[in-house]
Amino acid sequence: MSDSRQSMTNTSSELLHGTLDTLVLKTLTAGRRHGYAIAAAIEHTTEGVVEIEEGSLYPALYRMERKGWVEAEWGVSELGRRAKFYRLTPKGRRQLAAQSAEWARFAAAISRVLVNP
Amino acid sequence: MGPVRGRHLPGAREPIAVSPFNRVFWRPPVADEVDDELSFHLEMRVRDLVERGMDPVAARREAQRRAGDVERTRVTLRGLGTGRNRHMERTQYFGELRQDLAFTARQLFKNPGFTAVALLTLALGIGATTAIFSAVYAVVLQPFPLREPSRLMLVGEVWEGTPQVMSVGNYVDVNAAIPDFEQGLSALNYASYNLADETAPERVVGARVTANYFDVMGVRPILGRTFTADEDRPGSDRVVVLSHRLWTRRFGASAAIVGRELRMNGAGYQIAGVMPASFDLTSDSEELWTPIAFTPAQRAEHDEHYLTVNGRLKPNVSRRQVQSQLDAVALRLRHDFPKDDETISFGTVPFVERFVGDYRQRLLTLLAAVGLVLLIACGNVANLLLARGAARAREIAVRTALGAGQGRIVRQLLTESLVLALCAAAAGLVLARGFLAAVIAWSPNDVPRLDQARIDPIALAFAVGIALVSSVICGLAPALRASRRDPQTALRDGGRGSTGGLRDRLRGALIVAEVALSLLLLVGAGLLIRSAIALQRTDTGFEPHGVLSARVTLPATSYTEPARIQETLRRIDEAAAGIPGVSSAAITSFAAMGSGGGTNGLVPEGRAPVAANFINSTLRVITPGFFATLGVPIVKGRNFNDGDRANGQRVMIVSARLAAVAFPGQDPIGKRINCCEPGPAGQKVIVGVAGDIRSRGPAVAPRPEFYLPLPQTPAVAWNWFRTLYVVVRTTGDPAALVKPLNAAVTRVDRDLPLFDVRTMDQRLASSLATARFNTLLLTLLGAIGLALAATGIYGVIAYFVSQRTQEIGVRIALGATRGSVVRLILGQALRPVVIGAAVGVAASLAASRVLSSQLFDVSPTDPLTIAAVLATLVGVASVASAVPARRAAAIDPTRALQAE
Repeated sequence: MSDSRQSMTNTSSELLHGTLDTLVLKTLTAGRRHGYAIAAAIEHTTEGVVEIEEGSLYPALYRMERKGWVEAEWGVSELGRRAKFYRLTPKGRRQLAAQSAEWARFAAAISRVLVNP
Repeated sequence: MGPVRGRHLPGAREPIAVSPFNRVFWRPPVADEVDDELSFHLEMRVRDLVERGMDPVAARREAQRRAGDVERTRVTLRGLGTGRNRHMERTQYFGELRQDLAFTARQLFKNPGFTAVALLTLALGIGATTAIFSAVYAVVLQPFPLREPSRLMLVGEVWEGTPQVMSVGNYVDVNAAIPDFEQGLSALNYASYNLADETAPERVVGARVTANYFDVMGVRPILGRTFTADEDRPGSDRVVVLSHRLWTRRFGASAAIVGRELRMNGAGYQIAGVMPASFDLTSDSEELWTPIAFTPAQRAEHDEHYLTVNGRLKPNVSRRQVQSQLDAVALRLRHDFPKDDETISFGTVPFVERFVGDYRQRLLTLLAAVGLVLLIACGNVANLLLARGAARAREIAVRTALGAGQGRIVRQLLTESLVLALCAAAAGLVLARGFLAAVIAWSPNDVPRLDQARIDPIALAFAVGIALVSSVICGLAPALRASRRDPQTALRDGGRGSTGGLRDRLRGALIVAEVALSLLLLVGAGLLIRSAIALQRTDTGFEPHGVLSARVTLPATSYTEPARIQETLRRIDEAAAGIPGVSSAAITSFAAMGSGGGTNGLVPEGRAPVAANFINSTLRVITPGFFATLGVPIVKGRNFNDGDRANGQRVMIVSARLAAVAFPGQDPIGKRINCCEPGPAGQKVIVGVAGDIRSRGPAVAPRPEFYLPLPQTPAVAWNWFRTLYVVVRTTGDPAALVKPLNAAVTRVDRDLPLFDVRTMDQRLASSLATARFNTLLLTLLGAIGLALAATGIYGVIAYFVSQRTQEIGVRIALGATRGSVVRLILGQALRPVVIGAAVGVAASLAASRVLSSQLFDVSPTDPLTIAAVLATLVGVASVASAVPARRAAAIDPTRALQAE
């Protein structure tokens, strides 16, 4: 683990503040997952650029559960251990669509600034 | 119960698609949830790292590093989790409440008959109770607008067992002798005032009061001031304090009025101040106050009793302490004034008690009656709910089978009861407003403070509370029983339920109670109706039809000389007799019914002039036309005539009752009686005997009465009666004489307004108004109670028949006759009715005594009334159960058996 990578995580998590929800929701579109699977999926997809700490992942999940974007149930993990699984609700799906669109608009705007001379 | 519509059944758990709501109850405690989830995460991380080739120890360290401050996360998550659970529980609660309400609405709309009867019944009960309680509150319970009213006492000479009015001399002496009244004692004497300024002349009732009167009562003026002690003296007493009512009515509530002059009784009075609206204690209480300004002669007078005296007990002084001081003064006065105060004694009675008078008992009786109606209403609704609860056994069984917990079902039923009671409360509030307005409109005018009645929120809450409790208990009981049963049995039962039918003891008990309560109500109403009939039939001793009466006041300011008073009254008498259509006319100090009519102690000849020998007798000063005008017979001797002059032989006519008391077994004509004034003028010769009159109303037995001719009125009498009656008799409509009579009096003195102009029929009717009002209300309540009880009986029997259609069908198929079926049903129905009637008779024998003060010529346990009520009740109950019984007899056995 290099120091540069550590700083990268911090920067990312700041950048990600507010977009973590979107990432989690997106991850859940593939089906129900437990918390670790969600974190692992995001880390894998971003090739380790984004690391998700428990301290931010689970609060986000609990909040979204309260808002009704995701719902949770206890089930058995792939290794036979009891685990809490999260699943996207219709409300969460709508939320994801709205947030993705917003992110796309934002990203496009930023890149226009950065790309244009 | 209609078809089961699964998607509508609240609480029925969907077996496959688990909704998030239902899972709230399965959640592990938040702390466990958080710990499990975090440790799972950590272990998965370690496992991942090891899989990628890391050494297990290093992997654990790395995983822990990645996890960060786990303790903080744990705390955060616990907080979030608790909040989340609470939020979701709330969401679930409101979601279910919405379901429950929607289901309730469907239930209520599906059974419009049940809903309407239950709502109407409860609303009637709530409305009537609230209205009557509000009236009772306004009259009896509402605090008085006076400072510490409990310390305010009426102080008076004890007369017929209760403290009454006082003479000026006694007032002055008592006031000087007793230190335990704050501000001393105040005195008041009612008086009429003729107001004549720019606007139309008007006669108002006012009072002459001592300067400390307002302080004793404990009220302050809202404008200006009250009187000073200096103004309470003859010669400087031309000041007036206005009531709020007079101030707003006649002076447009103008603040500039203070200091202005008001023309009253022909003299100018300076307006000193205005009292607050709260001091208008009744709608006909006095409208202005002037200083009483006793003259030295009045202060020495101990034998003219007309002052209303009030005193405010000092704090921590009891009535008993004051009583011993009063007794001491009385003893001294007996010694100092052996003639006037020979048997004098003084007493106190709380002002509030005297003011509210016997309305307390009347209104509380009414409240009790209304309470019975409310109970009957609740019993009715309870019965309806019980019947329905049993009928819903199948529905509940289905819901239990679908997974609804008992708590969930209870909540649903609670919601139904609540919705029902709250809707009834809303309707009841509307009814209460209507009832209260009607009570105020129909009640006699002189009920103190009734006009201030408003719907009392506490009363409404109380009535709604009772309705709620009864509907909740009775809505729940059968449902709980049903939900505890094994759903399979209930479903197999086909919904009939073994709890149905009249065998249900609770329902039978409710019918018993309803019948007993309505019997109690009806007996009360019946007794009052019999009293009213007896009153109507009572011979009052005079002939009221065709008589018009009016009052006129001769102001003390313009009529000072007795000779001038006599002359004016003689001319009014003449003018009245001269009106076309008038067959006879008279002036009298007191007609009958209504105010007036002082009493004097009479000493018949041959008896010692000591108080024990006094015969208290009502005095009337009259002109000779009196007996012809009122239709009172002279049973012996002669009438007065023009020969009975002021300086002639003093004569008197006595009533038959007085003659019998004064001279039992003797001929009273020519006998002498001493009364009314000192010296030889007090010796009167009896020249005639008149028939007895029920002067105080048909319900009050005639008392001894006597008559003096107007020219021989004792001069001192003008000190205390200046208001007299003019009465005229016509063969036509007496109401047509109002204008000519006014004109005739105005011709004699245009500053003399006639007031209180009414036919004698009207006076008679208003003397019965209170009794009639109570009778009307109690009859109305009795009728409502009867109707409710009949509805209840009908409902239960109809339900019973509908539940047992099949069984009855079998009986008929097996050869039972229609008659035997009707007998079966009626027998079942009437058993609780008969028990209830027996209980009701026993209760009414015990309770009707509370009515005895309102009864006339009928015993509180009058067997005829009870028998009539019993017959009515049993008759109505039979009709109510005969309708469903006939329906049962008409059951077609083949269809009844196919129905299942």
